[in-house]
Amino acid sequence: MPQFESHFFSSLIFWEVVSFGILLFVLYKFAFPGILSVLEEREKKIKDSLDQAEIHRSTAERKLKEYEAKLEGVSREAEGILLAAKERAQRVMEENEQRLIAEADRIKGDATREIDHERRKAIQEIRTQTTDLALMVAEKVVQRSLTDADHRRLADEALDALSKSSR
Amino acid sequence: MEESPLHPFELHNYLTVNLGGLDISINKAVIMMWVVVGLISILMIMAGSARRLVPGKLQSLGEILVDFIRGMILDTMGPDGMKFFPLIATLFLFILFCNWLGLIPGTYTVTSQIIVTAVFAGFVYTLSIVLGFVLHGLKFLGILVPPGTPGWMLPLMIPIELISQLARPVSLAVRLFANMTAGHTILAVLFGMVISLPVYIGVLPFGATLFVNGLEAVLIAPIQAYIFTILTCVYLGDAVTLHGHSEHAH
Repeated sequence: MPQFESHFFSSLIFWEVVSFGILLFVLYKFAFPGILSVLEEREKKIKDSLDQAEIHRSTAERKLKEYEAKLEGVSREAEGILLAAKERAQRVMEENEQRLIAEADRIKGDATREIDHERRKAIQEIRTQTTDLALMVAEKVVQRSLTDADHRRLADEALDALSKSSR
Repeated sequence: MEESPLHPFELHNYLTVNLGGLDISINKAVIMMWVVVGLISILMIMAGSARRLVPGKLQSLGEILVDFIRGMILDTMGPDGMKFFPLIATLFLFILFCNWLGLIPGTYTVTSQIIVTAVFAGFVYTLSIVLGFVLHGLKFLGILVPPGTPGWMLPLMIPIELISQLARPVSLAVRLFANMTAGHTILAVLFGMVISLPVYIGVLPFGATLFVNGLEAVLIAPIQAYIFTILTCVYLGDAVTLHGHSEHAH
């Protein structure tokens, strides 16, 4: 095997030791400190970030719980307000209805009374005119003047008879 | 033209260099080491100089590699193991890039040289032993006694543990070398078929070559680098914590 040719051994050993020594020196001096420090820095940074994130997460969770509780309170309050408003609206509506009904009743009563009054007045008027007319007719029939009191009495009798017969 | 499938592992000196009687000639494997060192240096320095919180592509790549190695060390050795981070990371990157760059046709796989893997394995193992004795003194010999071993078993256990300890560097070196050599030998055999067979049959081994090459690049190369590195972590971790001994004491 070519690898066992011992006359190359001395040069291989020498250059291996020299090369390895140089490489070790170069890397030890110029490469490893930088890479290792960056790695450690990054590890620290990641760890810090994770810790920070954990703190933020717990804070957020607490806040969320607070807000949820608050929101629930607010929603309950809003429900109460809505319910009260509905009740009030209902009450106002009912009041209005009753008021309007009463008003309408009042107007109707007034109108009825007015009509009644007018009717009675009209009847009274007719009665008076009829009396006068009857008097005039009677005067002419009897051909003599009666006293005013006679007139009245006669007329009333006639009217009573009339109203009795008209009933 | 028939050639040995082991041909890709042959080395030829491009430039003969002598340092005080030591032959340090320049060959393809040496040049590949330089390329690997240059490439990793450029890549990692650029990745390390960006330093952005949200990384770009190159920074991401560098960070993925570094984070991967860091995870490996933390899993096996704990936070104390980060002392060894530069060494282990350099080892991983060096082996990984040697494995990867060797897959490019025309290049050389440095890690297919037994002497290269043996030096790494020997260094890692020696370091773990020295470290163990420095940290724990003679108590480190307790590594030869698994926790809970009854006293009369000691004459049996100590030789077994000794052999298992000595096998560590050997297996570490041979595993990487053998895997790289085997992979490239298979590739060479398959590609030899592509060349020697007529085109209409040759497409089959050609497809297989592409497949095996992809497999090497995606799986074998990183996995072997990973295994070498994680075993390094385990051996060094054993030396630092003296596993069995500390557990035994409780």
